[in-house]
Amino acid sequence: MASQRKNSRGESLLLRYAILGAWALFCLAPVLWFLSIGLRPRTEIITPQPIYWPSFSLDAWHMIWEDWPMAKYLRNSVAAIFGSVIIDLVLAVPAAYSLSRYTYRGRDDIGFYILSTRMMAPAIVAIPIFFLFRNVGLLDTVWALMLIYAAINLSFVTWIIRSYMLDIPKELEDAARTDGASDLRILWEIIIPAVLPGIITASVIAMIFAINEFLFTLLIASTPNAYTMSVALANFTGGSDGLIYNAIALVAFLAFVPVFLVVVAIQKHLSRGLTMGAVKG
Amino acid sequence: MSKSSLSDTGATAVAPAWPTHQRLKRRSKRLKAWFPYLLVAPAVLYLMLITLYPGVYAVIQSFHQVKFGPWQPVGLANYMRLFQDHQFWGAIWNTLVIGSISLVLQCVLALAIAFYAYRDPWVKGWRIIFLVPMLFMPSAVAFIYKLSFLDARVFADLLMRIGLIDGNIAYQSSIWMSRGILILADVWQWTPFLFIIFVAALQGQDEEVEEAARLDGASWYAIFWNISLPMMKPVIAVALILRAIDITTMFTNVFIITKGGPAFGTETISYFIYRTGFKFFDFGYASSASVIMLVITIIIAQLVVKRAFVSARS
Repeated sequence: MASQRKNSRGESLLLRYAILGAWALFCLAPVLWFLSIGLRPRTEIITPQPIYWPSFSLDAWHMIWEDWPMAKYLRNSVAAIFGSVIIDLVLAVPAAYSLSRYTYRGRDDIGFYILSTRMMAPAIVAIPIFFLFRNVGLLDTVWALMLIYAAINLSFVTWIIRSYMLDIPKELEDAARTDGASDLRILWEIIIPAVLPGIITASVIAMIFAINEFLFTLLIASTPNAYTMSVALANFTGGSDGLIYNAIALVAFLAFVPVFLVVVAIQKHLSRGLTMGAVKG
Repeated sequence: MSKSSLSDTGATAVAPAWPTHQRLKRRSKRLKAWFPYLLVAPAVLYLMLITLYPGVYAVIQSFHQVKFGPWQPVGLANYMRLFQDHQFWGAIWNTLVIGSISLVLQCVLALAIAFYAYRDPWVKGWRIIFLVPMLFMPSAVAFIYKLSFLDARVFADLLMRIGLIDGNIAYQSSIWMSRGILILADVWQWTPFLFIIFVAALQGQDEEVEEAARLDGASWYAIFWNISLPMMKPVIAVALILRAIDITTMFTNVFIITKGGPAFGTETISYFIYRTGFKFFDFGYASSASVIMLVITIIIAQLVVKRAFVSARS
């Protein structure tokens, strides 16, 4: 230890970079392996000995677009996800405003009820929701997915936006109120612009959760009619050959890239968003 | 205001205007009291539709036998069966075992790397790199792990190449091997979640306290153990609760990688409910398991979540 170079804080720099480097390897090595699966021919996927240096091939790319209606699945995903985020914002912004700006009886209980829906396991509500959608004829539609994604994310979105609203100084509003602005106008012209970073963070996180959602999508979208990317993956099978892993890996990458770019853009807000505002990031 | 009441008194005869005005004022006051409820109502009603309705539905359904025909009331039979069903208890046990091992591993790893990363000049870069696993679709990750371990046996192959083992690893016939894959996949994908939160908390702490301790000659691990860690307590609590909720509802990886096997050794509660309901179409029975899980959820939410979020807020 004594011979190692130490920084001012007394711990070894070598150790620090060994640990961080090892973790980076642990994070990225599987990703490179996924990528290599996505870019190899099908014959090199399940072999008696795994092939680490595959021959490059765009088989999977052609398969995705030509053998399956991938464009349709992509459209379904995008429609369900963006639709759900819009529903969430329409419901969550007024709710967050109410929870952060007014004191009234039962407010904390209402807030906790909204928060507590985040705790519910999808499996608990899956069966009733399945029958509900079947009875109203929404099974196998993008609309059902949109509604369910909105419900899953609503508590999250409300709490994130609420935490940003709590940070707005009261004076800002009071000034507008003395100028005679109504509550709704204050919300629209002062609060919403001020919490825009929170609204964007909440929307991004809601989108990621919506892309990732699997159990409900599996039950509600039981035919290709309403498949989204995450469930379509599970159905990339080539008859007797089993799952077509190179297509799965490639789709995973196609979905990863935009998510990654958006998240890098908002990374400053990410920790706060992930904890629903319980941590000021 | 005064101008309008003046003109109001001007237009007397038919009805005295000032009471109307006062009534309007009273009504607007009443509206004011209702306004915050009005704002929050749509969100609450929507959530009730999607949680309360299914909750009540599940409770009612759990007292019936529901297969293909009409519902038949059976009283507490489903619950009696549930308590004697060792697969159900097994599912609870599996969820606890897999969940707690995974959670402890994630927490320790995330704390360690957050501690080393937050004071590094390239912390932003590390953060982006370490975030990557979290941003992959969980279903795709599950498939690739299934491929790597079960189908192509990459891990076994690597171990063989460096001469640690002779033959293949029998993942599919070992309960602990299968649990290990589930734990590994969860640790790989979700440690970043805790890492991101812990780094933010460490960056947010007061540097002067740390500096003062260092001047007093405290070693870095003493500082970490006695200063940083206690300060992070509420943050760690909130982050662990959120993670624990997701781990106890684990479904995707089980569904894709192990299907609950071998010998039901990796069947989680969520998978048990799914299998009972959507594989065996025994909806009443599945609902009774849902209700038990719901009760546990409500207790945990009331005891733990409420406190954690309130304390973290203040």
